[in-house]
Amino acid sequence: MLDAFAPIFGGLSVALEPANLLYCFIGAMIGTLIGVLPGIGPIATVAMLLPVTFYLSPVSALIMLAGIYYGAQYGGSTTAILVNLPGENSSVVTCLDGYQLARQGRAGPALAVAALASLFAGVCATLVIALFAPPLAEMALLFGPAEYFSLMVLGLVAAIVLAQGSLVSALGMIVLGLILSMVGTDVNTGALRMTLGIPELNDGIGFVPLAMGLFAIGDIIRNLENPEARSVMTGKIGQLWPTRDDFKRCIPAVMRGTSLGSILGLLPGGGAMLSSFAAYTLEKRISDDPSRFGRGAIEGVAAPESANNAGAQTSFIPLLTLGIPANPVIALMAGAMMIHGIQPGPQVMTNNPDLFWGLIASMLVGNAMLVVINLPLIGLWVSLLKVPYRLFYPAILVFCCIGVYTLNNSIFEVGLLILFGVVGYAFLKWGCEPAPLLLAFVLGPLMEENLRRAMLLSRGDPSTFITRPISLGLLLAAFGLLLLIVLPAFKRTRAQAFQEQP
Amino acid sequence: MLPIRIRNRGEFSFATVLIGGAAWGLWLVSDLRFGTAMRMGPGYMPTMLCWIAIGIGAVLAIRSVAVSAPPPAAWAWRPVLSISAAIGAFMLVEKIGLLVCVGLVVLVASLGDRETRWSHSAMLAAGLATFAALIFVVMLGLPMPLLPTLLGY
Repeated sequence: MLDAFAPIFGGLSVALEPANLLYCFIGAMIGTLIGVLPGIGPIATVAMLLPVTFYLSPVSALIMLAGIYYGAQYGGSTTAILVNLPGENSSVVTCLDGYQLARQGRAGPALAVAALASLFAGVCATLVIALFAPPLAEMALLFGPAEYFSLMVLGLVAAIVLAQGSLVSALGMIVLGLILSMVGTDVNTGALRMTLGIPELNDGIGFVPLAMGLFAIGDIIRNLENPEARSVMTGKIGQLWPTRDDFKRCIPAVMRGTSLGSILGLLPGGGAMLSSFAAYTLEKRISDDPSRFGRGAIEGVAAPESANNAGAQTSFIPLLTLGIPANPVIALMAGAMMIHGIQPGPQVMTNNPDLFWGLIASMLVGNAMLVVINLPLIGLWVSLLKVPYRLFYPAILVFCCIGVYTLNNSIFEVGLLILFGVVGYAFLKWGCEPAPLLLAFVLGPLMEENLRRAMLLSRGDPSTFITRPISLGLLLAAFGLLLLIVLPAFKRTRAQAFQEQP
Repeated sequence: MLPIRIRNRGEFSFATVLIGGAAWGLWLVSDLRFGTAMRMGPGYMPTMLCWIAIGIGAVLAIRSVAVSAPPPAAWAWRPVLSISAAIGAFMLVEKIGLLVCVGLVVLVASLGDRETRWSHSAMLAAGLATFAALIFVVMLGLPMPLLPTLLGY
């Protein structure tokens, strides 16, 4: 058992190199910053910084980008608790109880619990990765195309869980994402598909302009729609340290949240947001007095905040062991790896052990930094929330444009950014969540490839997906998840949480 | 008989886009080889997916007539146009250089907010242009011209 952790120490020596320490800190700072600020999330930020990673070593690049992702989970809770706005999507449920606590004058303990729960979850999730990634990478060798395909189906179903709005709309978004991913050259035959005769589309639609358009630009336009109504808690944050009673309530909640988050992070389609939802639902279900939730139950902060951080970190496992990006942020990191000529998949661990273990060990370092960045410096982040939006959206816009342009030096992709920005705004207007579309877009080419191979191997017999046990198990899990979505209790939390959003 | 009324405008719009887009896609891939389930041609997956999209669109369209929902608020054209125009301004970066371009993007984008104060926007434009030039061109060496190249040199 202890042997399993030995490579982490090797990784620590990589993570503690001064340059990597610096990039870890930069990542954690940027992550907290964008986590605190509503209106910009890790997808847009990582996409913006992708061109910058050309100039870093691959380890430093991934350490920084990973820091942004889990750092955003820390920052997101601050805004959720103090302003009742989710700074990050994964803190949507934290608003429910966190803001109530703040109104009762207990913002301090709520913030402290959120940070400490995240720290505990972050450390545990790192150990989970160290423990499970090597066997999973070996298991990946047992995976044939049928298993890969079923796994991705499971991932897309999981994406529906975190979609706002109706199930059918989310399905529509997934199919739309799959269709968009087919644009470009067909890898098997070299035939051009749906390129409209535009040579820039021969390599397919760019992921970065699509992601930024749907998430960053669409959001900016929507935020400009309404005059600003942001009421930052002006009162004192009060004492930070939670009471003994808080600890008694939180410790089991954090344990459950961490385990749930670590497991759900493993799913393609999983990650921070799914985990926080599931953890909140679970806490409410098993609580002796469910009516406390929504009125300032400290477990309602502890469980989702530990779960989202655990989920954010373990969602690296599918990428590093199977080569499947679990969510759009991870897909961008896969892009960063490929910029440096590293193909994500089970071979990363053996071919680039320094990269693999350095990245994992950096998460330990980063989480420790984040507690320091978040708790003592809380005043700084609160004052940042008082900067009016009109001064900061032009900056987001400028960085988006520069990010898209410099990735391929393509003016055409900047044009695509306009198109997808307007489309993203339209989707928001129609109540369609863009996240499933983006995940489907990422998984589309992999799905097609594996479906084609599986069908070729089975000589055109689709029953191969249910006669192979691992594939059958994955499809059954997908089916179970669909049932869970229509389950009344879960549906209610989902509806309640989304209602809180502005 | 009651006339058919659209009770959920958001869902209906999405259904229209889904069906329209899928029909367009079908037309675009119609000349690609379809193949068989065992040996799929390049047209197999797109064709199948477009038909599924049309099916989902039909379900949404039917639902949007049957189940009512509050209509989505009207489009805010002011930010849509100003943000699009601001990104459009960035498309000139190779001609007018990063410094001028960033300033232009900020000023055009500021038109999207009614409460904009011009003195603030001008300072923001100058500050961001300097910052972007320093970070991206001077420090990171990304290949973008700093100054206008329109006139040639």
